[in-house]
Amino acid sequence: MRAVDIAGTALGNTMRSKTRTFLTVIAIVIGAFTLTLTSGLGAGINKYVDTMVSGFGEIDQISIMPGADATAQMPGSSGPVAYDPAEAQATGEFGMAMLTDEDIEAIARVEHLSNVEPVVFVAAEYLETADGDRFTLQSMDLPANAAALELAAGAKPARDAMEITIPETWLEIYGTEDPEAVLGETVTVGIKDLTQQVQTVDAQIVGVSQAAISGVGASPMPSSALNEELHGLQTSGLEVEQPQAYVQAVADVEDMAANEQSVKAALSEEGFMAMTVEDQLGVITGIIDTVTWVLNGFALIALLAASFGIVNTLLMSVQERTREIGLMKALGMSGGKVFGLFSMEAVMLGIMGSVIGVGLGVVVGLAGNAALVSGPLSGVAGLSLFAVDPMALVLIVLLILAIAFLAGTMPAARAAKKDPIEALRYE
Amino acid sequence: MSAAVLETENLVKVYGRGESRFDALKGLTFEIQQGESVAIVGKSGSGKSTLMHLLALLDEPTAGVVAMNGRPVSQLKSAQVSELRNETFGFVFQQFFLNANQTVLENVILPLKIAGVGPAERRRRGMEVLEQLDMADKARNRATDLSGGQKQRACIARALVNNPSVLFADEPTGNLDTATGEVVEDILFGLHRDRGITLVIVTHDDDLAARCQRRLLMQDGMIVADDSGEAVRSAGAGVGQSSREGSRRAGGHGKHAAPVVVDGPGLDGPGPDRSGPDGPDAGPTAPGAATADTVGQDENAGEERA
Repeated sequence: MRAVDIAGTALGNTMRSKTRTFLTVIAIVIGAFTLTLTSGLGAGINKYVDTMVSGFGEIDQISIMPGADATAQMPGSSGPVAYDPAEAQATGEFGMAMLTDEDIEAIARVEHLSNVEPVVFVAAEYLETADGDRFTLQSMDLPANAAALELAAGAKPARDAMEITIPETWLEIYGTEDPEAVLGETVTVGIKDLTQQVQTVDAQIVGVSQAAISGVGASPMPSSALNEELHGLQTSGLEVEQPQAYVQAVADVEDMAANEQSVKAALSEEGFMAMTVEDQLGVITGIIDTVTWVLNGFALIALLAASFGIVNTLLMSVQERTREIGLMKALGMSGGKVFGLFSMEAVMLGIMGSVIGVGLGVVVGLAGNAALVSGPLSGVAGLSLFAVDPMALVLIVLLILAIAFLAGTMPAARAAKKDPIEALRYE
Repeated sequence: MSAAVLETENLVKVYGRGESRFDALKGLTFEIQQGESVAIVGKSGSGKSTLMHLLALLDEPTAGVVAMNGRPVSQLKSAQVSELRNETFGFVFQQFFLNANQTVLENVILPLKIAGVGPAERRRRGMEVLEQLDMADKARNRATDLSGGQKQRACIARALVNNPSVLFADEPTGNLDTATGEVVEDILFGLHRDRGITLVIVTHDDDLAARCQRRLLMQDGMIVADDSGEAVRSAGAGVGQSSREGSRRAGGHGKHAAPVVVDGPGLDGPGPDRSGPDGPDAGPTAPGAATADTVGQDENAGEERA
């Protein structure tokens, strides 16, 4: 018997008792549908993270933190610790280790690193437009986040220029909705020094940002130079030299692909911990993947239940068609072909269930994504909650076919073993 | 002499073991020649169905040999046996076994489908054979919509579709009324006459058996009579046999190697317990020694006829 005939006959046989086939297929559809949705959800969110990564111009950036030597600093741990002025100075709020100026210098000495900058937090007072309107400027983005900035118009603030971006929601201060219109405007940032005197710095608006799900782009972002300047003003005004401490520093790595490992090793030797943007996003991606797999696990349980439906359906079918099987064997069909015919019927059920389920999953996923992204979650730029990954869909279909085939082997083996004489005996 | 298409040698079939042991066939040796029409007759339980199953290669003997065209079948793998069945045998069943969900044509071409013949060729040959049986106009009907006679004709068409050399018919008229049964018989014997197909018919029906060239009368797992008088003899199979049998016995064993084996354990084994159960039933035929010779006789019969 030709393979195509086996497939055709198998399809015809599954169509004989339509209700039974329909019910069996529904069980598979539910599994396939769930699996498509959950894996699409994972793919969608990961895709969003990926677009964030690919949006990073400065993918060769690395974040450097003090090495994790937390034991001595944890309150209530191992009793009193001898006082060391250098060490104490580098301990910031919450007992976290901080980077000192010497650390920054040490980092700058590491090979392949350039533009080493400590990350400093600036709390400005206000932002003043050319017309003299002032707006509160409590929170500003970190220049280190520039890589993740999604822009509606213009460019990211250049490192060495006095530049700033504003979020889309701030366009109203210029009474416009066109982000292009505000590019080139000059603003004045006011900030209090240690004596509570307001100092000002002028900056130019070079870009309009969109808020990302991570919060980057939701507030004005100064360039590195502007941030330095503001930080300088914020800590000026007193005659006493302020000891500096930083939560982390950022630096550019020359040829990240080639030097990532050596830079990390060198920094680790100096007692620092280094993370690339990818490392940081990898943590997020890892969490998303874990959640996705847990959800996939539930879908697989549904498929497991469906596979018993297949077994049941085919066993009934084999029982009912004993005569027919006997006849086919008497007419010269080998046991192997009979096995093939019945396992093919299982595969047919799998094909129907998986194609319908996956198709339904894709439609519902895309529709749901469109509804959410344009509705309640429209404020988040570039968000996607569901993505179609053709490879994953093919894998889902193949997985279901494999499960269906396995489920069909037991009834098929039973059919193949039927004795034609027994089967054709007159009652 | 024409070639033996099927021959058996000391064919034994035992079902069960111990207490429930049942000897269905007790050492049969005979030949069926190419182009012969043979009726296997006997009461139910006599072993005639078992014999047909073994001849049709649907079952394997407990001991002994079935040879096809001189080649022992036991040497073949099961896939080869299946292929052989598909290519050389046609089956006609009392209960038709037509698939109710398919059209007549689809039912008829099932053996070709199993053989792996292409769709166009299948259709062509299916229609051809349906035309021969005046069933072409029913090709598209559901098999369930046919009358009994039409069903049996569809069944014969299915048996003929791959040009078998042997046609096995198990009570082919058992489910049909007399008139329809005669039509089916005419078809079967017409095929035998015109196309030289070997017919092996298992039947209770004396009239049908009488139309065959040769009748094997089965009783308790043995052939108690092998009547190969000219066909178209209306006398019941049972009566004519005894006389022929008596005359045949003197002929002794033929040239075949088979008798050597048969005379040995094959005969001695079942011999003693044969006289017991056989006694009353074997009345009309020559009792005792006569049965012991049946096997050798078959071979003579074949030679004689040729």
